[in-house]
Amino acid sequence: MRETYGSVLPGMNLEDLSGKLIVIEGTDGVGRSTQVNLLKPWLEQQGRAVLDTGMTRSDLAGKGIKQAKEGHILGRLTLSVFYATDFVDRLEKQIVPALRAGFVVLTDRYIYSLMARAIVRGVDPEWLRHVYSFALKPDAMFYLRINVDDLIPRVVFSRGFDYWESGMDLHPGEDMYESFRRYQTALLGQLDKLAEEYHFTVIDAGPEVPVVFGQLKEGISRVLAGQPPVSAPTAPDRKPAPRAEPPAETVPEGGDRASAHAFAKASGGDAAT
Amino acid sequence: MKRYGDHRFPGKLFVVEGIDGSGKSTQLALLHQWLQGEGYGTVFSEWNSSLLVRDTTKRGKKRRMLTPASFSLIHATDFADRIEHNIIPLLKAGAVVLCDRYIYTAFARDVVRGMDPQWVRELYSFAVKPTVAFYFRIPLDVALNRLRSGRNGVKFYEAGMDLELSANPEDSFEIFQGRIMEEYEKIVPEFELTAVDATLPIEVQQSQMRQIVLAKLAQAKRLRVAP
Repeated sequence: MRETYGSVLPGMNLEDLSGKLIVIEGTDGVGRSTQVNLLKPWLEQQGRAVLDTGMTRSDLAGKGIKQAKEGHILGRLTLSVFYATDFVDRLEKQIVPALRAGFVVLTDRYIYSLMARAIVRGVDPEWLRHVYSFALKPDAMFYLRINVDDLIPRVVFSRGFDYWESGMDLHPGEDMYESFRRYQTALLGQLDKLAEEYHFTVIDAGPEVPVVFGQLKEGISRVLAGQPPVSAPTAPDRKPAPRAEPPAETVPEGGDRASAHAFAKASGGDAAT
Repeated sequence: MKRYGDHRFPGKLFVVEGIDGSGKSTQLALLHQWLQGEGYGTVFSEWNSSLLVRDTTKRGKKRRMLTPASFSLIHATDFADRIEHNIIPLLKAGAVVLCDRYIYTAFARDVVRGMDPQWVRELYSFAVKPTVAFYFRIPLDVALNRLRSGRNGVKFYEAGMDLELSANPEDSFEIFQGRIMEEYEKIVPEFELTAVDATLPIEVQQSQMRQIVLAKLAQAKRLRVAP
């Protein structure tokens, strides 16, 4: 039987969810969707049915979130709960039915990115864990890890700086480059922390696309064969040594969140209540 | 992030709760008028009224896409937007804020729909604790009688039709309202709501309300604005 991170939604049967839930995590511009676009045909080639899904792709709330973000008027709590609405709709209407039908579900980000982005904006981590406690535990989480110096040229030379990806809601008036650097540094810090807590399989996103793709294929093949995802070598300057064990057996508690709060404070993020 | 608790803003927050037909909106409208007449800067905020999520909620309801969980979260989004952009800034500015329905409505409805009571309470833990929350207590049949004479037809989610309690919307509505009332009765002691006997004449209820509100406004005299 499949497990959740604590609570079970009404009417959700956790039996017979025989498909595989595979999460690709990583920050903005790291190449997640490029990889998902390569992985899907690769899996289909092997005769696997694949559902790919990602943030703001729900039938219910996807459009609403995009519209609201255009106006730059979303409060940080509102943004969090709106994303949770989008997530729950996709979980109930897309992910769970696909898992029941035996699909491989490739999800471009999961609750972890949502939590990291909210924590950086000063939202209480315990509250977020509680709200998302209904989420299914995935079969594997692959974290495309990059440091901010390698990330910046990728973003600049592909799509340019985006308002939200640069955390401009946190540092209004600052130039996009400075804001991007500060925001992404804080975000990567949170993702690294979550990577450790939830036992992500870390993949160095620094090398060329085919190299990263090769590592993902290897890891996913193992997961589909019922084995734990093998750990890829991490960047030499980074510490979190990923463990080669089944992902997320327990709900981690606690963690140091002083830095996130300090960040939100320093950037003028005002407490909501 | 501060947890549900007493706020220190100069403004005051009064909310009304109760099942449909309890007369809470009538009472709040009378209170609103009176407070304005008395010269208090008064603002009214209604449940489920955020423009930001209106299209999403409408879409979900119209196409009956909502599950208990997405119903709960979309309403929480609406509330979060009103809290962040409306209620808290107004309380900071010293206004008297009046809310027709508050988080207790979600506690009652979402739990009847099968959501975990603790999960829903935690979801809304960012809410500001009201200065006074009035609960209009009324026997179910009295409320239903009032509604029968007034409206024509109940909506799908309003009647709790998503719970498949009955194929008949009227019957479903009655069962649903009864269950909501049972939840309210648990909420009243838990969150110390001020119960008002909603079978009393309207003017008697109103005078009780005004007395309680006035006592809370005594310390807030400086908030008066020229009428």
